[in-house]
Amino acid sequence: MKAVGEERGLATLEMTLMIAILVPLLFSILEFGAALERWLAQDAATVQAARYAGEIGGDGAEVRGLLAEQLRASGIDPGVATIEIAPARVGWREPVRVSVSTEYRLAIPFLFTTTLPIRSSAISRGEVNR
Amino acid sequence: MNALRDDRASAAVTTVVLLPLLLTVLAAVLQLGALRVAAARVRAAADLATLVAVNDQDDAELSRTGSLRLAGDASDVAREYFERELELSEALLAVSSSEIAARADIAAYPSAPSVDARTGARYQRPAVRLAADVPVRTPIFGALAFQPVTTIGVLAVSSPR
Repeated sequence: MKAVGEERGLATLEMTLMIAILVPLLFSILEFGAALERWLAQDAATVQAARYAGEIGGDGAEVRGLLAEQLRASGIDPGVATIEIAPARVGWREPVRVSVSTEYRLAIPFLFTTTLPIRSSAISRGEVNR
Repeated sequence: MNALRDDRASAAVTTVVLLPLLLTVLAAVLQLGALRVAAARVRAAADLATLVAVNDQDDAELSRTGSLRLAGDASDVAREYFERELELSEALLAVSSSEIAARADIAAYPSAPSVDARTGARYQRPAVRLAADVPVRTPIFGALAFQPVTTIGVLAVSSPR
């Protein structure tokens, strides 16, 4: 009986060790996957916003509204995103740049928790003949 | 009981032995994800560059004939904006954005109909076509005995409405 008890204890110890190794691995895949998906979604929203900024001739409530809507649809809170549209007003054939920056909280159990900066930028050209 | 004793810690040993393999797979998956992001950025850069180029019409031709015709510098504009867009992702690229843009095969078809000499496509409207090979850094693939640089082929075509 004592030997069986020892085996049980050993199995528990093994299980604990395996969980300590395999759970961080699994969460690394999930967390980094989610971060990359978010990066892709943010990039796509930024490109759309840049095109729209070119169409309306720079910064405006419409561009920010579109960007906020696109970010929200991708699961990103637009309230915490840093958005820059420069220059604020562009004329015919002038470049306009839209930059979006957010932070993603990466948490890997038993290893670390960190904040990952995600930055996206796109350039378009002004289409408004002022 | 002997058999039981022989099995002691075998699962833990297997996990530890497999750990390098699991870590390698994890690293490769992450690199693949980063490559996917890079590919999406390159595609978006090419799309935006051709869009910007076709948005500029020859106003004189439009008012004279009522038909759309691209501005004379459409291919130069596409090249310039392709470089500008790639510049924003310079850290991901294996060569400079200016070099990639200079090597890109960009063709403008100012009036329609026209046939693309490269792809054989027939355009019913004026169009700008951009084809480029964009080398991106893949250092983890390099460390895993694959290529440290992966080339992404991109083809974008835009026409005005």
